[in-house]
Amino acid sequence: MHDIRTERQIVAQQILGRLISLIPILFGVSIVVFLLVRLVPGDPVVSLLGMEATPEAIAALRLRYALDDPWIVQYFTWLGNLFAGDFGRSIQSGREVSSLLTSALLPTLWLSLAATIISLAIAIPMGVVAATRRDTAADAMASLLSLFGLSMPSFWIGVLLILLFAIHLPILPASGYVPPSDDFGLFLWHLVLPAITLGTALAAAIMRMTRSTMLEVLQTDYVRTARAKGLPRRKVIWTHAFRNAQIPIITLIGIQFGQVLGGVVITETIFSWPGIGKLTVDAIFARDYPVVQGAVLVTAGLFVFINLVTDIIYTVVDPRLRLS
Amino acid sequence: MSTVESPPAAIVARPARFPSSPRAILGGGLVALAIVVAIFAPVLTPYGPNDTDFLAVLQGPSLAHPFGTDELGRDILTRVFYGARVSLLVGLVSVLASLAIGGLIGAIAGYLAGWTDTVVMRLMDVIFAFPSVLLALAIAAVLGPSLGNAILAIAVVNLPVFARIARAQTMVVRSLDFVEAKRALGFGGWNILTRTILPNIAVPILVQGSLLFAAAIITESYLSFLGLGAQPPTATWGNMLRDAIGFLELAPWMAWFSGLAIFLTVLGFNVIGDALRDFYDPRTA
Repeated sequence: MHDIRTERQIVAQQILGRLISLIPILFGVSIVVFLLVRLVPGDPVVSLLGMEATPEAIAALRLRYALDDPWIVQYFTWLGNLFAGDFGRSIQSGREVSSLLTSALLPTLWLSLAATIISLAIAIPMGVVAATRRDTAADAMASLLSLFGLSMPSFWIGVLLILLFAIHLPILPASGYVPPSDDFGLFLWHLVLPAITLGTALAAAIMRMTRSTMLEVLQTDYVRTARAKGLPRRKVIWTHAFRNAQIPIITLIGIQFGQVLGGVVITETIFSWPGIGKLTVDAIFARDYPVVQGAVLVTAGLFVFINLVTDIIYTVVDPRLRLS
Repeated sequence: MSTVESPPAAIVARPARFPSSPRAILGGGLVALAIVVAIFAPVLTPYGPNDTDFLAVLQGPSLAHPFGTDELGRDILTRVFYGARVSLLVGLVSVLASLAIGGLIGAIAGYLAGWTDTVVMRLMDVIFAFPSVLLALAIAAVLGPSLGNAILAIAVVNLPVFARIARAQTMVVRSLDFVEAKRALGFGGWNILTRTILPNIAVPILVQGSLLFAAAIITESYLSFLGLGAQPPTATWGNMLRDAIGFLELAPWMAWFSGLAIFLTVLGFNVIGDALRDFYDPRTA
């Protein structure tokens, strides 16, 4: 019992250490996002309020963000507002940026989750088969598919899927979103094409990593021993080899999930999926900088958080890391 | 002062089989094709990229227009050829810039270690904390849509990748005997860094460069797809696909060929990058 508690303490310490190491990164991220609007040529007030702002609105904003003060004061005022949940107001709609972000977050999470599930379901079995049947036709086919998946730009995949499934064989909708609480079936129906579009590159990357890690693990002594003991092939592959191949795969999923978050920008734009990505693009074209700032900040925050979770998961999955 | 010869880098020690591997030929062929059409575009097609023909609007592939025409009657094959110029230019300039700057930053951080290393690498971590497409998008949006800003945005997001690799490699190389020997002989830090360390860390950085070239082409196409790259009427593969979205039912060919061009070029760079990586690091083959 005593040993287990110590081990837990070690894990807790490691997680705490990672949390602390995030603080400078998050600070840096907030500085970059703060500077983004200051880099826009011209007056930041015009950037934040639009050209038709009244003098009163301009004066109020100057006061609220301390725009007449030095940049360092402005930054901390802005940061203080963020901590109070005040992301500013959208120039376009006048709505609170925080409420726009909240309503866009869920569709993005559904889409990212669906893309990840689809890609795992395809990539892990394919990677394992490619590794266990190395240099066969199945291996060659899997490697070719993954190379294709990595090289196809996601918007092209999206457009080809729309052409095939929404125009030629009109069986799936070309765009739109139905909240799962309204009609779960319709929600799934609308989710299929964007999720495949977003998941293709992820599946390709996971498949490659699964294959190469499994190849390494399959050559280790303990797998050879398991085989020599006469264990069934399936048990050797999944229980002995795959369990040990998980860590690099989990790490890669964490890294790739960030790319998924970047990819939602394109996918959501093509499929009119009302998530953070589409919100960002729409705000960029409306020159709605408070929304751009908020959306970029939240996406980067989410990315950093996912990397943290990945770190924690593999500390928990791998006893070697836990005790090191 | 006598000179200390660096040991031959891995690139010299390995047998020169690389150029003849089937994958290298496939990748090299695809990339060469993109380069040839980009350079010889004016000779390869009788049309200009912005020549409109209102009597030949939205025509399907034919002998006169093998890839069909768009909504202004422009020849899509011609625009695909000219689009190669933008993609390759953005890939080349952005990757070279981030490779040179990121590589140098990483090498300096790895060589000096200490607080320089900490500060520089934390800065790189901050850039890394943004999904790359999103950061490129935000930078391009803030600076204004243009080809130059797209190149700058892509170069910035790739900086930390090169910096991290260069740093890790430098930390390995700097404690090796031949570097220690140069230091003992009184060579300066800059001399050691540029004459001894950089040549010895070049291979993994160049391999990564090939893979990032592919990523840069995709990112450029995303930016121009969203209207944040080179502006119309300049033909880019991304903005051709954006135009195609409005005509998917009437003229699906508009969407086929620009996407195919991106796919084949990116495939070429990925295959070369993979072949290079497997050649220098056979464990992953």
